[in-house]
Amino acid sequence: MQEQKLLEVWGDTVDGRHLLGAIGLGVGIAVPVYLIAEWGFGQLTGGDALGRSYALVTGLAACVIAAVVAANIFTPKRIVTIGEAPSGSREEAMDAIEAELGPLGDPDELPAAALAEVKELGLYDDLVAQHRKNERIAAEGGER
Amino acid sequence: MEAFLEPTMWALGMALIGTVVFALIGLVSGTDETATIAPLTLLVILLGVPPAGVFAFFMAAIAAKHITHAIPTTLLGIPGDTMAAPLLRDAQMLRELGVPHIALRKAISGGAVAALIAVPMAVFFAWLLTPFSAAISAVAPWLFLAAALLIAVLSKGRWAALFALVPFVLIVVGLQNFAVGALGKGLSISFFLGIAIGPLIADLFLAASPAGRATLVRDAPRSFELAADVRTWKGRMPNPVGVLDRTQLAGTAGAAVVSSATFVFSPVAMTVLMGELFGGRIKNGYRRLTTMMAVKNGTTESTYIAETLIPLIAIGLPLSPMAAGPANPLFNAPPVYTIDAEAGTSNNLHDLLDPWQFLVFGLAAVIIALLITYPFAMTQAHRAASWIMKKVSHEAIIGAFAGLIAVICLYEGGVVALLVAVTIGLVGGLLNKLFHMHTGVQFMGYYVAALTVPAVTALFA
Repeated sequence: MQEQKLLEVWGDTVDGRHLLGAIGLGVGIAVPVYLIAEWGFGQLTGGDALGRSYALVTGLAACVIAAVVAANIFTPKRIVTIGEAPSGSREEAMDAIEAELGPLGDPDELPAAALAEVKELGLYDDLVAQHRKNERIAAEGGER
Repeated sequence: MEAFLEPTMWALGMALIGTVVFALIGLVSGTDETATIAPLTLLVILLGVPPAGVFAFFMAAIAAKHITHAIPTTLLGIPGDTMAAPLLRDAQMLRELGVPHIALRKAISGGAVAALIAVPMAVFFAWLLTPFSAAISAVAPWLFLAAALLIAVLSKGRWAALFALVPFVLIVVGLQNFAVGALGKGLSISFFLGIAIGPLIADLFLAASPAGRATLVRDAPRSFELAADVRTWKGRMPNPVGVLDRTQLAGTAGAAVVSSATFVFSPVAMTVLMGELFGGRIKNGYRRLTTMMAVKNGTTESTYIAETLIPLIAIGLPLSPMAAGPANPLFNAPPVYTIDAEAGTSNNLHDLLDPWQFLVFGLAAVIIALLITYPFAMTQAHRAASWIMKKVSHEAIIGAFAGLIAVICLYEGGVVALLVAVTIGLVGGLLNKLFHMHTGVQFMGYYVAALTVPAVTALFA
């Protein structure tokens, strides 16, 4: 695999050279297009303010085109995995959440609407099991 | 009839454009509101779109973005934008429980309900405040100073942000004098853009220096785990009111009303606060998490709507964190919309639209945004998120922004404006990165330089 220089810029990882290329494309396409449009519309409208507005739109369109080109040349540096459907590890997840949030609670105490929602999501049995487990721990007087 | 029809057509059309553009931008995680909404709104204004169209574009943009920002937040576990950050932990826990889709459903339903409540409430609170507007305008230079100090000290930067205001304001004053000397006129758009994309400029400078580069280097690409696609309802689209139970509905509505009134506070802080106030005391953990999603995302909508509408309708000066940030072009976008610092007068949306127009066009724009984004988020969330993550590189987004900034700066004041934007962006970005002096504080700093500094010098003249 080719060596990549990954940098975190503005919240995501990028390849330094690709970033330079993309900025080059953005500025290199948009600025000349804007300047030419400003001159051209200025000639057509005789220096009217509206002419400069048209030039601005043209410049913006150039930015969008530059982005499409850049997106086609430079692929994202992200690893995207599609999560598996939840499996048996829900108990661990619940323990971790309770450690931070406090007890998830007894689902049977929920009002009818929320109870139906929990059942529909398939969370009901797991929540009951978790609640029982907590009650058992509490009954044994065990402090975690 | 024609006088009514034309602004209405503009409003509907622009609301549609604002919705589509910002529904897509909302999907891209980490796209800050100020950095995206302010420049594009500015563009719409400079293009000469009539006031009703500009206003509807903006309202649809914020409503749409804060619906779709919930998609990366809940499905990817990374905040969609600045306002999504307070929702993140609750969303992550629901994701660990294997029900990310319920987090998404609660969040967007809360957002839809709150947005519809916030528009009329904000107009009402603005109406209460209107009798005092002349008095408020008269002391505006000092209000901006007080607001800047308050926002600075409440930011994460605390005292550093407060004291850093002094050099920051002086830099703005100096750059402004330089611009006046070189161009014969002051700049404003270039300052805003520079501040808005400051963090990006700071990162780019760091990447260009060997020492700074070391702090940015990563061994591996960032890895994202997209939650599995689970469709949870059969048949017709669930309506937002049906998705929330009665407590959640009441909590979301309550938070929307309260956060509409408190328009001077930071939207992020209000989101955290409202979540605790209306969801924090629920004992059952599962129910607390889901209620938090609805209430908090509702507050991201209502604070944005109210913090824009109240200063816009009642005062005409950008006197709220929101108005000083993303909504700023609605107040000040020379040469189209202007604020005259010395006379204390304005010529902006405040003067160009009536309160009933704010209500009608605002509500229409929000409804259009919801009608498009809500079903979209309900049915296409997974496909859209995975397409963006796999196809659109961060490089392309940054490149497009670089081009956009360059073009808008050249438009305002040629090379001089571009230099000013880069300078203020580098300084502001570093202050943000090192001292957590966020862009809201810096926008207020700009107004202190423009309004308070002349008033102070007048005192000593």
